[in-house]
Amino acid sequence: MLARLAENLFWAGRYMERAEDTARMVDVTYHTLLESPYGEVSKSWEQLLEVLHLRAGFGDGPLDRDRVVRFLVAERSNPGSITSSVAKARENTRSVRELVSTELWEHINDLHLALSSRDLSRDLADQPYELFASVRKASMTIYGVASETMPRDDGWRFMALGRLLERAQMICRLIDVRYSQLEDLAGPSQRLAPLGAEIAQGADRTDFHHWMAVLKSASAFEAYRRRYRSSMDPADVVEFLLLDPDLPRSVLFCLTGSMHQLEALREGRPSRAARQLGLAASALRYRDVSELFDVGLHEFLGQVQSELGQVAESVADEFFRHQPSGAMHAIATA
Amino acid sequence: MSALFDRYDTRDLFDEVFTDDGTVRPHYAGLIDRLSRLSSEDLARRERIRDGIFRTQGITFTVYGDDDGVERTFPMDLLPRIIPADEWATIESGVAQRVTALNRFLEDLYVGEQAALHDGVVPRWLIETADDYAREAFGIPVPHAARCLVSGVDLVRDREGTYRVLEDNLRNPSGISYVLENRAAMTRVLPHAFAEQRVRPVDHYGPMLLKALREVAPPAAGEHPVAVVLTPGVFNSAYFEHAFLARQMGAELVEGRDLVVDEHVVYMRTTQGLERVDVIYRRIDDDFLDPVVFRPDSALGVPGLLSAARAGNVTIANALGNGVADDKAVYAFVPDLIRFYLGEEPILPNVETYLLWEADQREMVIDRMAELVVKPVAESGGYGMLIGPHATDEEVEQMRVRVAADPRGYIAQEVVQLSRHPTLMGERMEGRHVDLRPFAIAGESVEVVPGGLTRVALRKGSLVVNSSQGGGSKDTWVLEDREA
Repeated sequence: MLARLAENLFWAGRYMERAEDTARMVDVTYHTLLESPYGEVSKSWEQLLEVLHLRAGFGDGPLDRDRVVRFLVAERSNPGSITSSVAKARENTRSVRELVSTELWEHINDLHLALSSRDLSRDLADQPYELFASVRKASMTIYGVASETMPRDDGWRFMALGRLLERAQMICRLIDVRYSQLEDLAGPSQRLAPLGAEIAQGADRTDFHHWMAVLKSASAFEAYRRRYRSSMDPADVVEFLLLDPDLPRSVLFCLTGSMHQLEALREGRPSRAARQLGLAASALRYRDVSELFDVGLHEFLGQVQSELGQVAESVADEFFRHQPSGAMHAIATA
Repeated sequence: MSALFDRYDTRDLFDEVFTDDGTVRPHYAGLIDRLSRLSSEDLARRERIRDGIFRTQGITFTVYGDDDGVERTFPMDLLPRIIPADEWATIESGVAQRVTALNRFLEDLYVGEQAALHDGVVPRWLIETADDYAREAFGIPVPHAARCLVSGVDLVRDREGTYRVLEDNLRNPSGISYVLENRAAMTRVLPHAFAEQRVRPVDHYGPMLLKALREVAPPAAGEHPVAVVLTPGVFNSAYFEHAFLARQMGAELVEGRDLVVDEHVVYMRTTQGLERVDVIYRRIDDDFLDPVVFRPDSALGVPGLLSAARAGNVTIANALGNGVADDKAVYAFVPDLIRFYLGEEPILPNVETYLLWEADQREMVIDRMAELVVKPVAESGGYGMLIGPHATDEEVEQMRVRVAADPRGYIAQEVVQLSRHPTLMGERMEGRHVDLRPFAIAGESVEVVPGGLTRVALRKGSLVVNSSQGGGSKDTWVLEDREA
């Protein structure tokens, strides 16, 4: 298929996932801080901005909740806001209108129109839960519609690949933001590995609510309950979200899924993207969670994210950016 | 006759359905009989079904200069236009003759010895002052001389019912998607109406076009040439048609940025790497094709495309520079070109045309301007023209000034009272003017699609049928020869 169309589908998948996951993260941060006994509210919002790589974009203003939430949800000048992500998902889908089902286009368009027509500032001040829930729900509907109406051709695969890579990145960030908060609470002097182990074993009741919120934001709380029964051990939560092979929102699951799509797309040709992805997946598949706390979870998550960034670059090189070696020459002499 | 045709006026003009004394022409008898038996509720319901079909498929075009380019549907009238087999035989051979002669002329002009200019069939200065005469096209070969690969020749019928050529449309004629979509909609909206007629199908247009595109592929392309449709993109007024044609042919719909030229070979960027392209059915105007040669500010085209065409590595269809033969002053010479290149008498006559650089004709036109049609030579789509009988004194006066200042820039024609066809207006049929645009495809030979786009001027009395000027359309039925 045409590289431009493939790239549009890839980014449609990425932006839709980014919108949904941002909604989840803002939601979980917002609601856990409501009951937070700690005074470090602005610190938490700053961390969220940092894991979303939007700290610089936010600027120097005060880090109060309403400003940050508005920035992450409704700010059009913020390329990472939910509104912007949905707009870009729509734009990418619009340019491949011929390749996706009408139902899929209509649902993405509806979400975009709904967000543009709502008074987001009022919704945020009034009832943010409903807003976050509606974004989540719309995005789930969009995946459902895509999955039930699109043939499993290359177009579908690029869209799925974009979505899975983005989700893997965002789950890494979700774990990271929550974990950094706990690390901070335990004190700056103990930032390294032993502290991680200590938190892992000594979760108190406040932590319980925080980790529950993380699981909920990944739609994984009930599944976690069934798997691990009563305990709420941060080590188990991290293991579940990072390393579980069967949970649709675990990082390993996303990487394995991406691998399947990439294998089908490359049709046996050698692929740097596939090799990088395979290495990243193996690093998770054969890992014991306790080792992660030894090396430092934050560092490990950072490494996974940077590997995923390289995979995305390689995908672009291998599928979207073909250039003839002599093209520049031809242009210069034509 | 039912209430449908109450007060229908059959006087003064050539009516497609009724003779002057009000009887139904034989080839319409079955259809009119059937329609007359439908109640007005029934007709309204069918119109709703039709509207639903067109709206959900997004069959729209964009009108420029009007509310920032709004998308509109191109309304199809419920009553189709019917052309009997013998009339069609004349149209078909006449259009094929014209396209064949024009292809010969353009080939001679750009890669031949310009015999028609040497022999004075067309004045050399006239060609050399035509806006769309493209010196960049010199030496670019087109297999089978199929320079007008797709043409949409506009025909009108005068008071006697004679089909006359109004324009040739040799650059990027659009409208074929409506021909196919109208037919598809008609078979769903009024399936029974087809029962007694043997209507010739039009839905093989996609394969026809693809066949012709493959026939004009450069010899180097081998057994399986790759053809693509090149569009300016989703914001173009005819984007729907571009996507439609790509789908009909199973070809890729590419934009300029999807193509790249390397060592005078054109490739498209696919996820599997670069794939060689042999034929480009382009729906981009000449000026935007290649920023190296034409407008450097154009982001729509492909740098180096013309060098690839000149090297014989890719065929561009329609060919570059066809616009010179679309010039409305050159149009006046087409009957002579047919005699010159084919040694035949033209089957379809032109509309009487006056050339304004001839002093006596210019004086006559300036004198009689309020009775004539005046058109700028290089425009299409009905833009910038004056219809004398419908114009204000001020408009006529302005045109007199323009003609006097730039006689090469305009032509004048006698008003052709386009034929009239009953068209459903609310609950009753009213007469509206129609024209006909059959589509011809040239590859190894010239073929004419049996049918075409019948455009309707929806405003009462209006002679302007262009979609951009508030026209509608009709499904157009060409009947099988009963003897065949």
